[in-house]
Amino acid sequence: MLVLIGRRIVMVVAVVWAAATLNFFIPRIAPKNPIAEKLTQLAGTSGVDPTKIQEMSQAFGARFGLDQPLLTQYLRYIGDMARFDFGQSITKYPARVSDLIGEALPWTLGLMITTTLLAFLIGTLLGAAAGWYRNSKLLSVVSPIIMVFSAIPFYLLGLVLIYIFASRLGWFPVSGGYGLTSVPEWSWDFAVEVLQHATLPALSILIASVGTWAIGMRGMMVTVQGEDYMTFAEAKGLKPSRLFYRYGMRNALLPQVTALALYFGQIVTGAVLVEIVFAYPGLGSLLLDSIKLFDFPTIYGIVFILTLTVALSMLLVDLLYPLLDPRARVGR
Amino acid sequence: MTLLQVSNLSVDFFTTRQIVHAVRDVSLAVAAGERVGLVGESGSGKTTTALALMRMLKPPGRIVAGSARIGDLDLVGLKGPAIRAARLKTISYIPQGAMNSLSPVLRVREQMLDGLADHGIRLSAREAKARVDDALAGVGLAASVADLFPHQLSGGMKQRVCIAIAMMLDPKIIIADEPTSALDVISQRQVIQTLHMAQKRIGCGMVIIGHDMGLMAQATDRIIVMKDGRIVEDAPTRRLFAAPQHAYSAELIESVPTLGSRPSRPSGERPAAGAPFLELTGVSKTFGGGLLGGDSKQALAPIDLRIDAERPRVIAVVGQSGSGKTTLARIMLGLEPPSEGQFRYRGQDVSQLSVPERARFRREVQAIFQDPYASFNPFYRVDHALLMPLLHLGAAGSRTEAREAMEAACRDVGLNPREVLGRFPHELSGGQRQRLMIARALALKPRLIVADEPVSMVDASLRMTILNNLRALRQEHAISVVYITHDLATAYQVSDEVIVLYDGRLVEAGAPERVIEKPQHAYTRALVSAIPWPDPDRNWPLVEPDRASWNQPAVVQPGATCLG
Amino acid sequence: MTTARVETRGSQQAQRGPAWLGETLGYLRRNPSMIVGGLLLLTLVLFTGLGRLIVDTNAASPLSAPPAQPPGPDVPLGSDPQGRDILSVMILGTWLTVRTGLVAGALGVAVGSAIGLYAGYVGGRRDKAITWVVDVLLTVPAILLLVMIAAVVQTELTSLGMALIIAALAWRRPARQVRSQMLVIRNAGYIEMARLSGLGPLRIIFGEIVPNLLPFLISSFVTAVSAAILAGVGLEAMGLGPQNEPTLGMTIFWIMELSAFLRGMWWWIVPPLAILVVLFVGLYLVNAGLDELANPRLRRRA
Repeated sequence: MLVLIGRRIVMVVAVVWAAATLNFFIPRIAPKNPIAEKLTQLAGTSGVDPTKIQEMSQAFGARFGLDQPLLTQYLRYIGDMARFDFGQSITKYPARVSDLIGEALPWTLGLMITTTLLAFLIGTLLGAAAGWYRNSKLLSVVSPIIMVFSAIPFYLLGLVLIYIFASRLGWFPVSGGYGLTSVPEWSWDFAVEVLQHATLPALSILIASVGTWAIGMRGMMVTVQGEDYMTFAEAKGLKPSRLFYRYGMRNALLPQVTALALYFGQIVTGAVLVEIVFAYPGLGSLLLDSIKLFDFPTIYGIVFILTLTVALSMLLVDLLYPLLDPRARVGR
Repeated sequence: MTLLQVSNLSVDFFTTRQIVHAVRDVSLAVAAGERVGLVGESGSGKTTTALALMRMLKPPGRIVAGSARIGDLDLVGLKGPAIRAARLKTISYIPQGAMNSLSPVLRVREQMLDGLADHGIRLSAREAKARVDDALAGVGLAASVADLFPHQLSGGMKQRVCIAIAMMLDPKIIIADEPTSALDVISQRQVIQTLHMAQKRIGCGMVIIGHDMGLMAQATDRIIVMKDGRIVEDAPTRRLFAAPQHAYSAELIESVPTLGSRPSRPSGERPAAGAPFLELTGVSKTFGGGLLGGDSKQALAPIDLRIDAERPRVIAVVGQSGSGKTTLARIMLGLEPPSEGQFRYRGQDVSQLSVPERARFRREVQAIFQDPYASFNPFYRVDHALLMPLLHLGAAGSRTEAREAMEAACRDVGLNPREVLGRFPHELSGGQRQRLMIARALALKPRLIVADEPVSMVDASLRMTILNNLRALRQEHAISVVYITHDLATAYQVSDEVIVLYDGRLVEAGAPERVIEKPQHAYTRALVSAIPWPDPDRNWPLVEPDRASWNQPAVVQPGATCLG
Repeated sequence: MTTARVETRGSQQAQRGPAWLGETLGYLRRNPSMIVGGLLLLTLVLFTGLGRLIVDTNAASPLSAPPAQPPGPDVPLGSDPQGRDILSVMILGTWLTVRTGLVAGALGVAVGSAIGLYAGYVGGRRDKAITWVVDVLLTVPAILLLVMIAAVVQTELTSLGMALIIAALAWRRPARQVRSQMLVIRNAGYIEMARLSGLGPLRIIFGEIVPNLLPFLISSFVTAVSAAILAGVGLEAMGLGPQNEPTLGMTIFWIMELSAFLRGMWWWIVPPLAILVVLFVGLYLVNAGLDELANPRLRRRA
């Protein structure tokens, strides 16, 4: 067991290290130094104070230690990453990237965790029912529709929802996490506002991902029905509800949970794009702003944090899995 | 007293293309305390009959006629919740596949008690424990088994748990579908014994579904033979074996080898001269281990074996799963390098053969595998499998020559080339495919064929044909055969020498008359006495596995070519 | 179970010819999702193919039409605020977007299969090492790495360059999947038989294994194309696409950037969304059909 946990932790470290390393080398493969270029561009076009540019240039020069050997630069960079020190933002200088991320992260996590759990729950139940009651008329109409929705990317569905419910019908705001004039605070009115703004982004993730879980669960449920233990359970004269939950779903759930761990990467990708579409104040929108303005330290920071989130979520699922599957527990 | 009376039961499967009559007009009766065997090949309708009685047929299958009465209850006429209520309480069914009949995620206790709960039996924690302990004791298992998960039990234990569950509500009828499939011969005996004991305790009628006539001879009072969905014979076991009325029953009985009826074989073997054809010296195999491999496991302890080309012999390698017999076969085929020891072909280390020598080795040492369905690439016609070695190993000079050799080999194994060649594997039966595999090896004019369980996946009526093909290899083509099997009876029939393996070690080697008729080693003795011979009058003793005694040193009888 | 065998026997004897070919044809007839999906994709192909012959696609550049016009006699689908003719943009954009998907998907599957075949065939330590690296890379969310790469090379990016960037990551999933398929097939009896027949590794992989993987590889290709289009349009929607080419993703970027929703420019919003939805759903349906073909277990129970 300990060995297994150890292996998973090594994996997480490797994933994060790989992401950080790619982060470090990708800009250096480019023919020109994008940061220097961006700074000159900023100096030329915008009204930023030239002395500030000077200061920034020095700060970034020192940070990236461009005069030092590559290996030294790399080691220093990895050290910084390990301490979550992503340096300072270019566009919002001298704000620290970690602070910017800290502000945006709760929005992203809130949206992602709620929608993922809800989608997993609804999709799994729906898929289980669709796989079990294969003669049901209602399910044979509903489930293909939901499964087709799973083919449509989150953000595309988001755009469709914005067009219908926000732009045409005006039921929900077009964008943002809260009203333009409001200030974040702990109040009832603000909470309602946040919910209103979160509905469409959440719905677009939900509708599009419920089908994914339903498809997987339906397939597993069909497989489980063919297993010898289902035949025996049925021969015992068990009640249909017990067959469905205790024998069918209980066994079919195992691969679903494994799939959940593998799916986190896609969820993050999807959520980032949904945030962009809705201008939701999370990491996705921060990423978009940074891309537009070539704010590389912020981009790196976001990539690093999101990769870490994915890797840790996978670790969590791996650690919880033995609770569900006795065969994964070590020892007889 | 008749407990179960089935009359004119018919089951049809309504597929989109046709209606398949899976069970036709089946009538049978089972009395209290009686053990009835339902025998037939796959597709004969045995399991479908059982599922129909349980009312567990899945669409497109449907009972189209007949009745099945237990007392006043007509199982066929039951509707809705009454069907569920009858299961376990009136009629119990233990499905095939002991390995997977219990849900892997629930403890044994829960799987024993949920049947009671769903039949409206409310028990206090203490009563529940007593019921579970009793039921487990009834099948010879400790009470602690209840707190385990299925993966913590052996195959035999799982099957006994299933029997315990099926008995929980003292049903009138128990149907056990192939209760010993996938079990080794010693556990098989124990499971049948458990079934008998439990049956005696509650006095129910029992139906045992199976295909092994030896097992049926030992385990039943009466046998019903099914073929293509119909009953062809229904007779007391003793009478059926003494004088089968139907030709198919006779065929089934004859297909099982018996002791003491071994065909005589020509003697006059010349002693070998020069380097032996194949020679294994201290060959062993260990899997795993090393930096990343985890725990290492010795699959085969050091073994010596020698095969002379001038002196063709059939050597049977007998062992249960995990005995190392397949590892030995793979080493002899050069598919797996030995971890230690020397494997020589005509005096040369096999790992150091030059390219032409390697081709010659491949030509001279060929194989037949267990699964005739998997041995052919489904993408190609069967000719591909037969031509490939002829062309790649330089056994045929041209395509025409290869085709001729292929057709000749087909005729040698009794197949009509025009019927089987040019077809895709799925168009041929398992027996045809396995004989094609023999033809494939034969076309190369090999000196040795390693046959790994060649008949275990072929229907019983075809087994003898294939074994005769193997025997003909030695007698007519002077090819040595290494026959790998778990079945001592067929080993006894076809071999000149028997090698018994247990847990990767050699335990006994020698002529079959000695090893199987007068076994010396404790393990061989246990194995031989656990064989259910197809003779209802023969005693089938219960063997208590005494694993400690099995570790005694190997017994190598005079004249054997194998050494541990 | 006995019944399953009886049922399939009839169909197996009905046809002769390579097993998979006959099955494919027979399957198509019984598989509506594949047909609907195929028709959706065909519609798009006709739209972009015929459209390029009939409509002048030069009007897809900015300033070639009066800006922000609703549909009318001169501009059949209207124009955007920068003076692009929407119909031309859609015709050209569909082609560019599909091409990105095809190129990236094909490269991804080719490279991925090669890695998967190699790892699955050699087995042992090399396999473990490769699989581990692929697993690590699979965990890093693709879009983030793509963002990094695209952001660095953005200025001179073309839609083909975009395809190459996406292909740089598109190989991971096929590699993983082909390897696990290899593990199943590698232990099949006929592979051992081929070894005993003196075939070398290359002949075994390409002559014995790959033909059996074909349905799977086709399905995996469709998945990869779909994923590549998803990634491509996603990157473009963030403004990281080719700046001078009217791809569907760039259209979405401009829609968001120039507040089409607030300005109520439905003629600009609806066409790209509709085309993308048709494209993704079509690919999904085709793949759902292929999936059952590639996984016999699903098929038998369908």
